[in-house]
Amino acid sequence: MTTLQIEMAIAATILFIIIITSIAKNRLSIKNSIAWLLLPIIFIIIAIFPDPLQSFAHWLGFETLSNFIFLVIIALLILICFFLTVSNSKQQDEITKLNQEISILKKGQNGKSKS
Amino acid sequence: MTPNKIILIIPAFNEEKSIKDTIELVTKTGYDYIVIDDGSTDKTEQILSENNYNFVSLCFNLGIGGAVQTGYRYALENNYDIAIQFDADGQHDIESIKDLIQPILDNQADFTIGSRFIKKNSSNFKSSFLRRIGIHLISNVIFLFSKNRVYDTTSGFRAANKKVIKYFTENYPKEYPEPISNYELIKFGYKVTEVPVKMHERTAGKSSIHSWKSAYYVINVLLSIFVIKLRRKK
Repeated sequence: MTTLQIEMAIAATILFIIIITSIAKNRLSIKNSIAWLLLPIIFIIIAIFPDPLQSFAHWLGFETLSNFIFLVIIALLILICFFLTVSNSKQQDEITKLNQEISILKKGQNGKSKS
Repeated sequence: MTPNKIILIIPAFNEEKSIKDTIELVTKTGYDYIVIDDGSTDKTEQILSENNYNFVSLCFNLGIGGAVQTGYRYALENNYDIAIQFDADGQHDIESIKDLIQPILDNQADFTIGSRFIKKNSSNFKSSFLRRIGIHLISNVIFLFSKNRVYDTTSGFRAANKKVIKYFTENYPKEYPEPISNYELIKFGYKVTEVPVKMHERTAGKSSIHSWKSAYYVINVLLSIFVIKLRRKK
């Protein structure tokens, strides 16, 4: 194993542990953790078997393996970011609805009604 | 025929100067109303509360779309047949309400838009040149997509029957709701009619559409209309 491979494997393991502890401590829901777990798993696979990936990257037309890895990781980050925005939009809608319902309820309780 | 229950939805965000006059005017005509205080930071809520007006105060500011939707939600929960959006700043003419709701009462329309641009009634209202161009552009795109002509797409003086009240409780655009929801209703098969109404210059407060934001407004609305065009009927 080269130094680079070892470094990568260690980094991935640390990331993996951080994610798992977060789930265990209920800071991250399992549903939302899948995308994040993929990241260290991909890292580790690359660190252990760089050769087949190297050929694959060449076959796809990449000059070096590192370029390919960068691209894959950036693509994954963009995906995660996109789905965060999606869930954020959904939460905004839900919060809006809650605000409206609570405000109407609050009015009913104060008994300030016309007529 | 059972009499229709009618309510005016009056969204108010920092309208301390005009809210009292507007509500006094509405009370005189005898319509039910609900003021939606959209998290105002001035004395609006205090005025509403002291005078014992009928109002809902939002926990935090939602913007015009969320505020008006609260009114529709209130109208639905209190079983109103017709809901009318009415501005707090004295821009809309209370006498025009009977013209506005007539097509709904006659079962000719599900939704009516009070228009400044249809002739017949002379209007005191003049909007800026750029604003008219923007409205015209949006109007043309809606016509292109739906084959329905809505002249005054940005008018906030509108009336909805029960079907539309229900629809708006589920879906109401957050930003720039008027033109977007006009198109949405037409696209999903509701009958939308424009009615000529009088409008006054606003007595206080500013339009929610500021001059430098106009371009952004038009782009945003057109984009929303394109997206709704792609949407399937539920």
